[in-house]
Amino acid sequence: MNNRDDEIIVLKDLSKIYGNGVEVRALDGVSLRIKAGEFVAIVGPSGSGKSTLLNMIGLLDTPTKGHIFLKGIDVSRASPDERARLRNQELGFVFQYHHLIPEFTALENVMIPMLIANKSKLRARERGEELLAAVGLGDRLHSRPNQLSGGQNQRVAVARALANDPSIVIGDELTGNLDTKSSELIYNLLRELNRKINQTFILVTHDMTLAEKTDRILRIVDGKIVCEMRRKDDGFDVIDSCELGEDDGKITLLSR
Amino acid sequence: MFELDVALRHILTNRRGTAFTLISVAIAVAIIIMSLGLTESVSNQILENTVNKNPHLLIGPKEGESYINMYRSLSNQISSYPEVFALSPRLVGQGAARFQENVHSVEFVGVLPGPEETLMEVQESMVSGNFSDLRFNNKGAILGSRLARNLNIRDGGDFYLYLKNDSLRLKVIGILEKGTVKDETLVYLSLSAAQELVGEGDVVTEIGVKLADYTRAPAMARELNEIGRYKVTSWQDFSPEIARFVGNQGVTNILFYMFILLISAFVIANTTIMVVSKRRREIGILMAMGAKRRSVLMIFVLENMLISLPAGVLGAVLGYVAAQAITLLPLNVTSAAADGRIVIDPRPEFFALALLFAIMLNFISGLYPAYSAARLDPVEAIGSE
Repeated sequence: MNNRDDEIIVLKDLSKIYGNGVEVRALDGVSLRIKAGEFVAIVGPSGSGKSTLLNMIGLLDTPTKGHIFLKGIDVSRASPDERARLRNQELGFVFQYHHLIPEFTALENVMIPMLIANKSKLRARERGEELLAAVGLGDRLHSRPNQLSGGQNQRVAVARALANDPSIVIGDELTGNLDTKSSELIYNLLRELNRKINQTFILVTHDMTLAEKTDRILRIVDGKIVCEMRRKDDGFDVIDSCELGEDDGKITLLSR
Repeated sequence: MFELDVALRHILTNRRGTAFTLISVAIAVAIIIMSLGLTESVSNQILENTVNKNPHLLIGPKEGESYINMYRSLSNQISSYPEVFALSPRLVGQGAARFQENVHSVEFVGVLPGPEETLMEVQESMVSGNFSDLRFNNKGAILGSRLARNLNIRDGGDFYLYLKNDSLRLKVIGILEKGTVKDETLVYLSLSAAQELVGEGDVVTEIGVKLADYTRAPAMARELNEIGRYKVTSWQDFSPEIARFVGNQGVTNILFYMFILLISAFVIANTTIMVVSKRRREIGILMAMGAKRRSVLMIFVLENMLISLPAGVLGAVLGYVAAQAITLLPLNVTSAAADGRIVIDPRPEFFALALLFAIMLNFISGLYPAYSAARLDPVEAIGSE
């Protein structure tokens, strides 16, 4: 069913074990294939390992066991410098609390990934202005994070994540700290980017309203993917493996 | 170079931390400049008052002899050395001086006034009279101030100089004060008068030599001892306590600077550690956006280096001002200093040294915190408060 060429990220039997003495299996043999242009939500109770999974995909963390393939290349044992380069070039991060650098303006924050990539300041500035305009903040280029609302900051963070045209944008509870209206705005922005430039998004969320708007929902419990649903027309199809969960293994869809 | 941008922004926004580091380094630099200038000028003054007002080398008689007979040809030979600045043949002896009822033991020095003046700058120490008058007055004598006081004799007074059973009637034509123990015993007279008293003919007991560079004295003494039979000693041999003092100053200074360095290093390291811990999350975010460890290290090293330059300059200015302020204090360091004040002369190389020191200090003490920042785990760093 999959064409391997357009698989952007593939996880094979990925495990992460923390702690010495008392072992904590944050991830337990997770395998997953995500294609370019997919809009994926990862849901699950807190402590289920969804953030760990996201950190693995984002190359911020290294697996104890298993492999991560980014664009077909095994990056699970890459050197710190190589992983830094890949994070810069192939990945974009949006965190729960925007995590912009407070001393920098919106534009400067967006420019940082490009400057890390050794792009000229002039090009970085042009691209930064373009991106901020695209997220609707063309008039707030020189505002600092403390001069912007939560939603505005999160949009700056989205612009920053897109700065180097990454293959994948990763979001960790990116609307967790926003009101419904701002969340909606951010979601619409991501959806539009997903459609327009075929941007791949992987979002961790416990906000089911947001999850339901994606194309694919993965439910993770105790470090295992217990259930997976794909969008089919207006609803979701529950595919395989849903009986593995310790709880009822179902994803409760709010819209039903 | 985004590292530079980030470092600059850190410096400009973290005003308190910047100020602490800046002031700490500036004070360290100021103290070093000040004390370098101070110790340098004190030891210069001491050398000026002791070594430079005395012969650097003394050439004495050959082994087993009491006098130098061929002192004229020996003088010519010695003065042909390029290092030799001045020399003066002297006939020195121990005797007694009597004026009325007062008798005191003395050290008489028979000299040629011209060469002796070039060697010893005697005129500078003269309280009254002219040193050069010895040339025209074969029976004239110049006395140390304390000796004159003890004998209760004044300018123009006649006294007797005794050597064993011989004596010589001399007239006081001047009084000098060197500020040393010599003032109690010294009697200068012309070489011919001294030779008359000693009665050994045209001889001297020593030739005092001054070199252009007093530090060359030991080497020169060695060289002369190798080629001739005259016994040559350097000032380090006959004033070992001064040589030791000058040598020890270097060691104590280095210890002193080490302590200053240590204290400032702790302040800087502490400030940097605080800055790093405050910016843990930011470091994590920069790493998530692809900043390499090298870049994170660079940011914090740059941050410290950028502070060190203005801190060094500020410290240099402070040090200069403090040095000038000290020169205004009436501190008596060496009794011979004319007006009892220290002259601090901060030389340009002290400033260069202090600046270099500031940069090195900042670099070294900021290195560990910067390194630990670079080793942060991005996941932990982002999750930290």
